[in-house]
Amino acid sequence: MSRTEEGVPGEPRARAAAGSPRLRLSRGLAAVRLAARGGARYAGSAPRLFIAAGEHRQRLRNDLALQTAEDVAATLGTMKGVLMKIGQMASYVDDGLAPPVRRTLSRLQDSVPPMSAELAAEVIRGEFGAAPEEVFGTWDPEPIAAASIGQVHRAITRDGRAVAVKVQYPGIAKTIEADLGNVALLRSLLRVAAPNQDVNALIDELRERITEELDYEREAVNQRMFADYYDGHPTIGVPRIVDELSTARVVTSDLVTGARFAELLDWPQTEKDLAAETMYRFTFRSLYEAHAFNGDPHPGNYLFHRGGRVTFLDFGLVKYFTPDELQPLVHMVRYLCVDEDPEAFRRAMEEADFLTPGAPLPTEQIVEHMALFYDTVRTPGPRTMTQGYASAVARRYFDFRNPLAAYARIPRSYVILQRINLGMFALLGELGATGNWRAIAEEIWPFVQAPPSTAMGEAEAAWLARRPARS
Amino acid sequence: MTADVYPAAGGLVERAAAAFVSSVPEVPADDGYFGPASVTWRLNGDLSAPLAGLRSLLVQALHPLAMAGVDQHSDWRADPAGRLASTAAYLATITYGDRATAQRAAARVRKIHERVRGVDPVTGQGYAAGDPDLLLWVHAALVESVLASADLFGGPLSEADKDRYVAEMTAAAELVGIPPGRAPSTIAELDDYLSAVRPVLALSPAAAESTRYLLDLPWLDEEMGGLWRDVGDAAVAALPEWAARLYGLVPREPVTEQRRAEVRQLLGVLDVLYLGEPGVLEARQRLELRMRQARRGKA
Repeated sequence: MSRTEEGVPGEPRARAAAGSPRLRLSRGLAAVRLAARGGARYAGSAPRLFIAAGEHRQRLRNDLALQTAEDVAATLGTMKGVLMKIGQMASYVDDGLAPPVRRTLSRLQDSVPPMSAELAAEVIRGEFGAAPEEVFGTWDPEPIAAASIGQVHRAITRDGRAVAVKVQYPGIAKTIEADLGNVALLRSLLRVAAPNQDVNALIDELRERITEELDYEREAVNQRMFADYYDGHPTIGVPRIVDELSTARVVTSDLVTGARFAELLDWPQTEKDLAAETMYRFTFRSLYEAHAFNGDPHPGNYLFHRGGRVTFLDFGLVKYFTPDELQPLVHMVRYLCVDEDPEAFRRAMEEADFLTPGAPLPTEQIVEHMALFYDTVRTPGPRTMTQGYASAVARRYFDFRNPLAAYARIPRSYVILQRINLGMFALLGELGATGNWRAIAEEIWPFVQAPPSTAMGEAEAAWLARRPARS
Repeated sequence: MTADVYPAAGGLVERAAAAFVSSVPEVPADDGYFGPASVTWRLNGDLSAPLAGLRSLLVQALHPLAMAGVDQHSDWRADPAGRLASTAAYLATITYGDRATAQRAAARVRKIHERVRGVDPVTGQGYAAGDPDLLLWVHAALVESVLASADLFGGPLSEADKDRYVAEMTAAAELVGIPPGRAPSTIAELDDYLSAVRPVLALSPAAAESTRYLLDLPWLDEEMGGLWRDVGDAAVAALPEWAARLYGLVPREPVTEQRRAEVRQLLGVLDVLYLGEPGVLEARQRLELRMRQARRGKA
């Protein structure tokens, strides 16, 4: 759909924003936008790397490591941790950041060194009352990865289990909580960063998300649920949590090694296609069957193995849907893609509160606008995901000039779902993955439950058959 | 004052950052006049540093002769951001640069001062920027501002560290041309000096107008302007009572814990902007490595 300057009747939000000087991408707005993308790599596929090369870089990391809780506060306090998190949120929803903004973001993230071995050990001691070498049989003091507001160490438990131990920066929860309390500053920063959004809702979302991420106990609960659900799955792996070695600040799970997303990009296309199929199945089976959605489709949160097996990491941000919340989504996809009943689709949108009832727009225009989001499943046959498609989806989503924008909204409980479009499709697009997504979706859609359409589907069906009935 | 006098000028953060980066040597010949174990290095990199700079300009402007020198000779109205950046660059160079670089920078400043002479229209007195009395005022106002700002809004600072800072900074005083022995070398001496000089201080029209401008920087865009005005409020809150009174400001409420946290959050946002400029992170890492090395050496 083309953008027309005059075609914005009755669109108060967009017009007010366009007339406001705040819409200018000024240098000042870097203050918030700076953080956008910051988080994108922050959850990190590799230990954070400093601006140096090779061995020198490793030495620098050690020499600059955070040594005390005061170092942590100086590095991530005074709004810096919060700005990084704003960036992490924005990285999924902001298409086309100006280069200076992107630079500022990545700088902020580069500025956070890992904890020193001593400091990480102190956190373990604080949580378990003993040194890491005593709590675990073997402890690797060198972190293997940066995590959200923490870092990951390898260890071997006393009974010989190889584990990954995520250790939270000490004092970070209190520091970030205090910074989140400065609503006035947050409001003015967000007004700059997101002129089209409801700033109060954004602040609520931000607080909620960050509070969730700070609570490693909650993450362990989520991960346990996913690990149980996918137990024995042929291609989906979720590392098991080690309960007795997990607390609010430390979460221990089975250690899994595998290729990172960047490495997968160099694998043969058939491997990429299989990995994409697994990611796709994971996302929609979790949503339609487990009624849960892992909202952090960040490239650092996957490990890839040959033959399409994917290990899913990091369950800090999981949204659970009630049947009532899920039902309208099911109806929408059904009426649009299977029944091909535009009026029913429109009613489903209205019932879900996505669309103002009685909006003075023809249904075909609504369908035309929304269809892009369903493009990969509207028609059968193989389709190749492209980066072009992923960014078209993101652009459409943020097209506030579209006449529909005045009548459309995303109810808060569905906000996280947009990360399917904006996050997962971006990854599949980067893989250039080809698949018969419609056929795969039909296997999973509760109102179709079609027979397997691929070899992976066969294996999954066998897994479903041998699995004990879900409670 | 009209907009024509102050042409739109921007890039304060960018230029201050570039000045800082170029002042931190990659391969220093020596540790300079302060060194990585000094309190001066620590305070210069403190979150409160931009606020200290602003507060120090507010205090310095209260000496009519110092103000007249700036008002009649400096090009700062034509390029305010550039002027602020070059002051920041000078301080960073004498702090972090090696001795030879610091001496060259100081020689340049002394040379500029030679040409700055005139008559103050308010008091009718003649002045010369190279006059040790005026240099001493500017120096003392800076030192006291750094300490007051760090005390209120910066990291923890012991009484012994404060004395050490005043003593260390006598090196800066001598570089700019204050005869050895004249600059205060303890907090007590600094306080005595400031009490003695107070009768001379006054708010001249030039000072009133310039500082009003400084606290507003109308050429900043809306978002940066808002942040800057908040920093200005904090700088005013950090002023000594006598200075606030000369500016005609009501005595401030004491800074509460909550207010302190808010100001630090604001300074943190500014710091992120600064950190986003090319080279700033690397320069800071170079300094941090040397400071850590110095701490290890001492331990």
